[in-house]
Amino acid sequence: MSVSLLSLLVLALAVAGFLIGRARALKAAGGDARRLHSLPGYYGQSVVLFTAVPAFLLMAAWLILQPILIDGRITAALGPQVAPDATAAQLAMADVRRIAGGLDAMQAAGGFTDDQIAGMRADLADIRGRLAEVGVALGAEVRPEIFEAAKSYRLQQKTGAMLMSVAVLLVAAAGMAFALRRIDRDFRARNVSETFVLWLLIGAALIAILTTVGIVLSMLSESIRFFGMYPAGEFFFGTVWNPQFRGGSDLGLLPLLWGTLYITLVSMLVSVPIGLFAAIYTAEYAPQRVRNVVKPLIEVIAGIPTVVFGLFALVTVGPFLRDWFAQPLGLGTSGSSVMTAGIVIGILNIPFISSLADDIINAVPQSLRDGSLGLGATRSETIRNVVLPAALPGIVGAILMAASRAIGETMIVTMGAGAAAKMDLNPFEAMTTITVKIVSQLTGDTEFNSPETLVAFALGITLFVITLGLNVLALWIVRKYREQYE
Amino acid sequence: MNDMRIMERETDTRTVKITARGVQVHYGDKHALKDVDVDILDKTVTAFIGPSGCGKSTFLRCLNRMNDTVATARVSGTILLDGEDIYDRRVDPVQLRARVGMVFQKPNPFPKSIYDNVAYGPRIHGLTRNKADLDEIVESSLRKAALWTEVKDRLNDTGTGLSGGQQQRLCIARAVATHPEVLLMDEPCSALDPIATAQVEELIDELRAQFSVVIVTHSMQQAARVSQRTAFFHLGNLVEYGETGQIFTNPKDPRTESYITGRIG
Amino acid sequence: MTEVLQHQPAIPARPAAGDRSLYAASTKMRRRNAAETRFRLYGVAAVAVSLLTLAIMLFTIIRDGSSAFRQAMLTFPVTIDAAIVDKTGSRDPVQMARVTTVGYGRLLGNSLAAHLAERGIAVEGVDDGDIANMISKDAPARLRDRVLADPSLVGQTIELTVLAAGRIDGYIKGRVTRETAERDSNVTPGQLEMADRLIEAGILETRFNTAFLTAPDASDQRPEAAGLGIAIIGSAYMMVMVLIFTLPVGVAASIYLEEFAPKNRFTDLIEVNISNLAAVPSIVFGILGLAIFINFAGLPQSSSLVGALVISLMTLPTIIIATRAAIRAVPPSIRDAALGVGASKMQAVFHHVLPLAMPGILTGTILGLASALGETAPLLLIGMVAFVTNYPSAPPEGVLDPATALPVQVYSWASRADPAFLERSSGAIIVLLVFLVIMNVTAIVMRRRFERRW
Repeated sequence: MSVSLLSLLVLALAVAGFLIGRARALKAAGGDARRLHSLPGYYGQSVVLFTAVPAFLLMAAWLILQPILIDGRITAALGPQVAPDATAAQLAMADVRRIAGGLDAMQAAGGFTDDQIAGMRADLADIRGRLAEVGVALGAEVRPEIFEAAKSYRLQQKTGAMLMSVAVLLVAAAGMAFALRRIDRDFRARNVSETFVLWLLIGAALIAILTTVGIVLSMLSESIRFFGMYPAGEFFFGTVWNPQFRGGSDLGLLPLLWGTLYITLVSMLVSVPIGLFAAIYTAEYAPQRVRNVVKPLIEVIAGIPTVVFGLFALVTVGPFLRDWFAQPLGLGTSGSSVMTAGIVIGILNIPFISSLADDIINAVPQSLRDGSLGLGATRSETIRNVVLPAALPGIVGAILMAASRAIGETMIVTMGAGAAAKMDLNPFEAMTTITVKIVSQLTGDTEFNSPETLVAFALGITLFVITLGLNVLALWIVRKYREQYE
Repeated sequence: MNDMRIMERETDTRTVKITARGVQVHYGDKHALKDVDVDILDKTVTAFIGPSGCGKSTFLRCLNRMNDTVATARVSGTILLDGEDIYDRRVDPVQLRARVGMVFQKPNPFPKSIYDNVAYGPRIHGLTRNKADLDEIVESSLRKAALWTEVKDRLNDTGTGLSGGQQQRLCIARAVATHPEVLLMDEPCSALDPIATAQVEELIDELRAQFSVVIVTHSMQQAARVSQRTAFFHLGNLVEYGETGQIFTNPKDPRTESYITGRIG
Repeated sequence: MTEVLQHQPAIPARPAAGDRSLYAASTKMRRRNAAETRFRLYGVAAVAVSLLTLAIMLFTIIRDGSSAFRQAMLTFPVTIDAAIVDKTGSRDPVQMARVTTVGYGRLLGNSLAAHLAERGIAVEGVDDGDIANMISKDAPARLRDRVLADPSLVGQTIELTVLAAGRIDGYIKGRVTRETAERDSNVTPGQLEMADRLIEAGILETRFNTAFLTAPDASDQRPEAAGLGIAIIGSAYMMVMVLIFTLPVGVAASIYLEEFAPKNRFTDLIEVNISNLAAVPSIVFGILGLAIFINFAGLPQSSSLVGALVISLMTLPTIIIATRAAIRAVPPSIRDAALGVGASKMQAVFHHVLPLAMPGILTGTILGLASALGETAPLLLIGMVAFVTNYPSAPPEGVLDPATALPVQVYSWASRADPAFLERSSGAIIVLLVFLVIMNVTAIVMRRRFERRW
């Protein structure tokens, strides 16, 4: 039974439960709804909750766990000959899955019965040819063990699906029965129902924690595997990044870290002065009409996707810098460089800093400004000596968070900074960052279990820790130094 | 009433410091101040009294052009400081405010050290040549504000850490540090407890030896205690202006009398 | 108080009388005012630089991308020669399917050459082979599909409009010139000359290219046929799924945190988590998606379901923050009133607070979706950079099919060498920006219409 059909059945059961539950409640009250503890609808609602929620939870868990279980059993059945190590096992399983899918297609197209398929043998029937007919191309002849495994896989899947349908429907029915039995005139349906809903709400809030846990776990486990293949010291302190297809790669973090920090520095040099002064202007000087036009326009920059900025860097800023600065000054010949990516990321961050700074500056009470103006200070002296120092913790926090964004930026550096990992002081040279390498190592051709691919997880966790640290620092600074205005 | 007032000094040979003629203020469509004519005397404490919303604070803020910071405010009429029209186009409000200082209703010390709070004015106006001069100005201003003995050992502590009364005295010290000729005070004691209020009132009387002080107050008793001249505002009009003693014992306008006897307010 | 009168330290002399006139600006004042003007100018300059950059960016995108919406096309009569496409004469599509696009290519080439000969259009050095090469390599496939769908066309002569080859299109749009054609292996100057003649004759022209929006991606050799169809569908599937995943979960979590959560360490932990997640770089979510949804759970790579799951996790913190702000904006008096008539806390929330907060919640959601639409990096990691040529099928099964997304398509086209793809990339950005503008304007209009001032 397909997942959609099963879901529909559960939903239908739930709706039926609602109607039955409500009717039962009314009957228990002798037809007078006022004698019930809760509104009739709540009785129905309690039935729906007990029917649908456990059933769907079971279905979700089963759908996630079943493939893992089956994969494990098939791999064990294949034995050490076919699958001596993890890599061979994965390849074998990929084959098994493909053949199983091909058998499904064969059955649908050619009308074979289950027994016929079960009776096929890899060495007798021309399996490869038949599979090719339904669109499954195989590189070599089908080995008997793999073929048997594929048949077993299909069988287990079908059995599993059937068992799931039965289990889910049983749970749904059991839930409905349980809920219906409890209905009588004094049953506090609304309370029960609301407590159930409260737990659902808590579950939703927990997803936030689950996500963090998931992020940390996923990166941590693969990173640990990576550090098993490549010494951590050489990773964290290595100065050469040179992954090789065949092994013997140098995977040092430092060139990537250098590129990341250099580009971030350039971007801060662009975004902080411009963003801060733009905020000062819109918050302190601009008349209301100008502010109403300028602020939204600057916000538009914030709404543009980073890939658009990346294209801008690639097509406009890069060649401009190269033709007007790098080549005449003899500093470089490439359009991709630290300056290109840094300047464009800086532009990206201008609205981020500007709107945060604007809010912070506006939060400084007018009484402080009045005090300064009353003493005969000019507007700029007031801003420089009174407003900005009062706003400083918030502004520092905003700057740190902008730095964190620049460090984690991917698309602009991919398209504008190049892929060369090196440590150079020349900002017109192409240098790459941690994020670019994460993408290139995970989408490249190296096999998954090699250090060249797993290094991406180590890079990822490094990036996560750095950006998290910056954000926590920013929040701490704001909290500690913020003046409490009444 | 006589024994509550501090020793009177000669008031009729005082020079006129500020002259206002026909001053009107509009906030948008609202006509907040109508046709005010008044002469503020030098080395004198002048009190503006009247019920809430009658325009006294509005007029006060005209005297140092603080109304310029309000976008919807329009001021017309003439205000002369030492014979010069402060709303003349050639006048820079910043320069004006160095000569006409202001203390606000709610104490608003900067989130800086006590020293830096008081030194702020002299610094931006470039009144001193070196650190020693600045130290002297800070000390003398804090003494004038009767705050020196309490804070002389903690000049580097932040100004916002003081008590309410101390903060307001710090703001007064800050205002006098630029040696203004006129000191405007907008209900300076309304946020203070009675002891602090008494301290500030003593200060005001001492300050008038050097400055002309204009104080807005909603307390008639305070006006009677502290000022030599009193102006009564009502619904945007200056109703009556004269010697404090005469206003409170023998007001000429029936509205003034109603206010003083508590029938309106 | 005597100390005030006795301890008066020497006060520095007051400035000279000449400086005291209000009408004259003292030198110090002039310097300070100059500093003030400079400071203000810095502010104006900063705003001007930002807006100028924005204008330049939009200008270059429109300049480079607007031509993607017009495409060079050839219109000429084509004879569906039975000798080529239906040798058995059976008109049976299954039999006719044995003829590949090569045959149809020849058919088109022959027809065009014949038509030109008939009209007397010839250029020295341009033979029939060259003429055939001026037709897009994608055109034979389209014709083949059409004939197999309708075998009655065999033997007829129909007026057909087909895409011209990429280089011809480039010539019309100015990317290709006679000089570059000398060095280009895909086009000769003679063909460009022929193109001029064809334009004069009305056979070759640029038309509005709806296929840009509907066709799937094409290979590197055929930029003229590349389209956004699959990208738009992929993005649409993902946005709908993101909405389905994040709105209920986000609102539920926000309600819990704002209304029911007790003030304890556990709640603090959740809140800290949410604000941290909002600041995590998007690529880390891509790693999460790869590791958990693809490797652990075995979902198909490059599917819109996985993309939607990853982007939902990214967008969830934003939506929670916006929803909490909307709920907080509802004044406590409303809740008190509801409780006062005997509603339970949950009834007060669901019957009163939530409806009042709904406009703010929807605005925040639309804005969250708008930023989700532009996300690229995590989608690259889950495999969406792959070349997809088949439309995903209808949901719910279709969400497991490989798909791509608008911003990923922009990136993928921008990475290809042929400058014609740059035009495509910019055109795709224009489409993306149009969607974003619509979403943002909707959000702002909604906010204005339904904003309440409590």
